[in-house]
Amino acid sequence: MATVVLERCTGCNICIPYCPVGAISADERKVSIDRRVCTECGVCYRNPVCPKHAILPGPYETFGDTFKHVLSDPTETVEATGITGRGTEECKTNDVTGRYPRHRVGFTIDMGRPGIGVYLRDVETVARAVVAAGLELEPPHRNPLASIFDNLQDPRLKEGLADVHLLSIIIEGTCRVEDVGAVLKALQEVQHQIDTVFSVGMVLRVDPSGYHPALEELVRHGIPKPMRGKVNVGLGRPLVDA
Amino acid sequence: MTHTLHRSGTPESLQDDFPWLMYWSRGINDVDIRRKCLEIIEAAQAVGCENWGDTKAGSVLARPAEEIKRDLTDRSRVRGVFTSKQQVVEFLRILKEKDLGMSVIISGLLEDVLDACRQAGVTPHTINFSLGVWGKKELLPPEDVLEITTMCGHHMISSALVEKLVSDIRRGKTTPRRAALRCARLCPCGVFNHLRAERLFAQMAEKTSPPVKQGT
Repeated sequence: MATVVLERCTGCNICIPYCPVGAISADERKVSIDRRVCTECGVCYRNPVCPKHAILPGPYETFGDTFKHVLSDPTETVEATGITGRGTEECKTNDVTGRYPRHRVGFTIDMGRPGIGVYLRDVETVARAVVAAGLELEPPHRNPLASIFDNLQDPRLKEGLADVHLLSIIIEGTCRVEDVGAVLKALQEVQHQIDTVFSVGMVLRVDPSGYHPALEELVRHGIPKPMRGKVNVGLGRPLVDA
Repeated sequence: MTHTLHRSGTPESLQDDFPWLMYWSRGINDVDIRRKCLEIIEAAQAVGCENWGDTKAGSVLARPAEEIKRDLTDRSRVRGVFTSKQQVVEFLRILKEKDLGMSVIISGLLEDVLDACRQAGVTPHTINFSLGVWGKKELLPPEDVLEITTMCGHHMISSALVEKLVSDIRRGKTTPRRAALRCARLCPCGVFNHLRAERLFAQMAEKTSPPVKQGT
């Protein structure tokens, strides 16, 4: 959790609106940081926000402290995957990795996004729902989510992580085309069981026109035709299909 | 990382917003990365890209371009944002010609991105389709605030800051441009579209201004 150096803080309160999760508040003549809410994202100390440099990072005393910091601060690199941000390449390198083959459908469930933050207990709730519906979670060398569970087929949080608060983390995996409907249904149901939001992405190895038959499942579930997307334009080499 | 995927806004609001990313994958196409980053930045600048950067080295709206280029390494992954479809077309044409072997990703309105691919002669390989926000949406700030905050997909820009800046604009303490640049400097990747943000800030300040009484 970021720490306020009380000797430096002048109580000017400039830092308060910068915190993405509202963890900083005025406390008599100083500011204070709510340790339970702070995600250690670094906005308050990495940028020249405090004129007195009164906010410092850490301390990171537990795995949960380090995990929340690495996942919430985009300038950090997830050691196991070598990726900054939320620590996964997902579709961005699919033209060279083939991580999402044509016969599988990928999902990226961006927990806590946009801007609300997420406790890992809610991540567990959603992960269990989609795994039960047929989603196979990405392994630890591809997505850091795997490091908070002992068993990806039966995802339960490791001890002491339920109350860890992050800006966001991505539940990522693939399923068979025939299980897409079950995964969407699971998401539609589990969204009412959590105290945060999530943004859903469906990853498809498309034909040259940008189409994949799994898009039809969206219609069947009353989900509007996607307006925005992130397109890997196939310039990576060696091309996985070549 | 899906930080450029889920931007809020109407099609009209998003028509000038195209984040781009360059990626490599460990053990596959991870050689000579720094030189390739510099070539990609050169291509982006050639077509008029105004914001770009690297998560570690920072964005060009926060640091001088030469310092960012100096700090790039063979582990860097550069990214930025275009503000017109034509920029995307020209950028892709250049990269196709250069054949650097890096994965390139363009986010935006699918109709426009796919058309840009057709014009540039590149073939879409994989798409992450945005299915929107689910869950306890009553926790979210107003949509016009989200249009700005979601331009940093790592959420380095708080809704409280956006609301404060709108208030500052209304009181004449800052301008839409300065507010947009303030936000852009918090986004280390360089994908924040400050030109769109400037327009949105101006609209928000106008919309939320208390009505001026006649005769005062």
